[in-house]
Amino acid sequence: MFRYLLRRLYLFLATSLVMVGVLFYTTGLFPVERSFALTGIHAPTANQLVQIEQDYKLNDNQAWQFFAYLQQRLSGNLGVSVTSNQSVAEELSAVLPASFELAIMAAIIAIGLGVPLGVLASQSQHKLTQNTIMAITLTGYSVPVFWLGLYLSLWFGVDLGWLPISGQLNLLYEIKPITGFMLIDILLSESEYSMSAFKDALLHIVLPATTLAVLPFTVVVRSTRSAMMNVMNQTFIRAAEARGMHTSTIILRHALPNALIPVLKHLGLMLGSFASYAIVVEMIFSWPGVGSWLVSGIYQRDYTVIQGGILAVALLIIFLSILIEVLHTVFNPLSRKDLYAAS
Amino acid sequence: MPPVKIYQEDQIASPMMRVWQNFSANPFALAGLWTIAFLLLLTLFGPMIAPFPPEAQDPRALLLPPSWDPSGTVAHFLGTDDLGRDIFSRLLHDAHLTFGMALLIVITALVTGFIIGSLSGMMRGLKSSILGHLLDALLSIPSLLMAILVVAVMGPGLENVFWAVGIALTPQFVRSIHQSVHEELQKEYVTAARLDGANSLQIFWYVIMPNVWEVVIIQTTLAISAAILDIAALGFLSLGAQAPSPEWGAMVAQGIDNLLTAPWTVTIPGLAILFSVLAINLVGDGLRSALAPIRN
Repeated sequence: MFRYLLRRLYLFLATSLVMVGVLFYTTGLFPVERSFALTGIHAPTANQLVQIEQDYKLNDNQAWQFFAYLQQRLSGNLGVSVTSNQSVAEELSAVLPASFELAIMAAIIAIGLGVPLGVLASQSQHKLTQNTIMAITLTGYSVPVFWLGLYLSLWFGVDLGWLPISGQLNLLYEIKPITGFMLIDILLSESEYSMSAFKDALLHIVLPATTLAVLPFTVVVRSTRSAMMNVMNQTFIRAAEARGMHTSTIILRHALPNALIPVLKHLGLMLGSFASYAIVVEMIFSWPGVGSWLVSGIYQRDYTVIQGGILAVALLIIFLSILIEVLHTVFNPLSRKDLYAAS
Repeated sequence: MPPVKIYQEDQIASPMMRVWQNFSANPFALAGLWTIAFLLLLTLFGPMIAPFPPEAQDPRALLLPPSWDPSGTVAHFLGTDDLGRDIFSRLLHDAHLTFGMALLIVITALVTGFIIGSLSGMMRGLKSSILGHLLDALLSIPSLLMAILVVAVMGPGLENVFWAVGIALTPQFVRSIHQSVHEELQKEYVTAARLDGANSLQIFWYVIMPNVWEVVIIQTTLAISAAILDIAALGFLSLGAQAPSPEWGAMVAQGIDNLLTAPWTVTIPGLAILFSVLAINLVGDGLRSALAPIRN
């Protein structure tokens, strides 16, 4: 197990290194001056120019430049945003929590609704129920997310007027950022309006989180269903049935834990498209997260913001997918069989 | 109607035939296949059928509703947008932009991914690891972020969508082909073929590949639907196809301004995307379940 973890760690480091290498290479291709692409300082003074040349070793060869780049980025120096003149790292830490909040809510909705529905779909004998669930999930899988988001906001936000359609919180409330997570910050704040602010924030998160949850929800339903059908055919389930256990006990204690392992794997494979969807959803609902920040960065050709955002998101995805792989191995002793074989 | 049997001996269907029988037993999958064939025809001949050029503006017919609405006309079957452009013609003209582009991207990614994936799958040890995992780094950059990176370098445009989505899709092919080749390589029938004196190339093509094609096919259908959605999303964010272009995602983005007064300018391109992706997913699903009994 230890050797396995070490190998995963190497994989993480190697993949991240390649990723930074790709970023470094593309930074060189940006159609602006190199010092500007690296730091975001538009018109550097003579002193700054010397400093930049020293920091990024611009007079040395590419390999040294890469190491200097790596060193700068790893020490948290992501440069300055050219539009706001603020450090990119600070802006990033301001927008990341909002994205996390949205992603976590979406994941809760997707898993909380998807797993029971998947189990239901696998257990029901009705052709109609099965087909309905499959049709809904297939449609959910095919619908373009920007279109869905527009229509949900049109129906629930404009026509029915139930839910707010943009932003994270009504401007009436002023909440001091402590953790960056809006819902937690509101609970921590001692304002007398904190309860109504909390309600308002919850209402704001419903539409974007639902829109974002559609894709993982369908994937969870489908993979839970097929995994459950696989597991229910196995001998240990028949043994449990023969011992006279209740169906609900069999499903909850014997079948479901085994069925959730492949679901975990599917979720891990989906992280990339989930992130793409999150960017679009944040744009539509003007959610102040990494996605809308990055897209406005590209509209304004803010090269440091683009680099910083992509670095953060890609590192996060590499880390999470390796974490999910490790969890998969921990929960599933069967997959450890070929751990030590060449892979 | 079951085939009439005249002779005594049993006709054993070839694996291909059995897949087709399983596949055609599923009406939804067949419907999807017909839709795709129809879309392919539109991709090739759409511009010839279209009644208007895609950029032709009719100042007397601004924001005309679709023809089934009392105030719509049949001349503009699906209505017009805010510049008086015929939505039906734009949809037809674009079939080759979204659908054809997606096919082109997937074929390119498939060929590249197939070569790298099978090479790395057949190799062992560090070389295989490096080739196989090198592209994992690219896999971790979501397609939209990749597109943002490409746009930052080359500026927005439809040909840059080709690179962005292609670069994002290739690692998926590499990974799945690498894994399945690798898995098959460890099975005993491969050892048997090796003992029979087959060289690596023969083992790869005649022994392993027949068992990997299914993975390739399924991955391809998944990739086509992902590519269409990505192209449309990029068009919507105006990072891909630019404004006058009738790309379906860009059409949705152009319709947003009139969403409240003329919802059909957003609904119709969105439905076009939804149905084409749905058709591809239906076929993919049908193929997967048709292949399942053979794979297990």
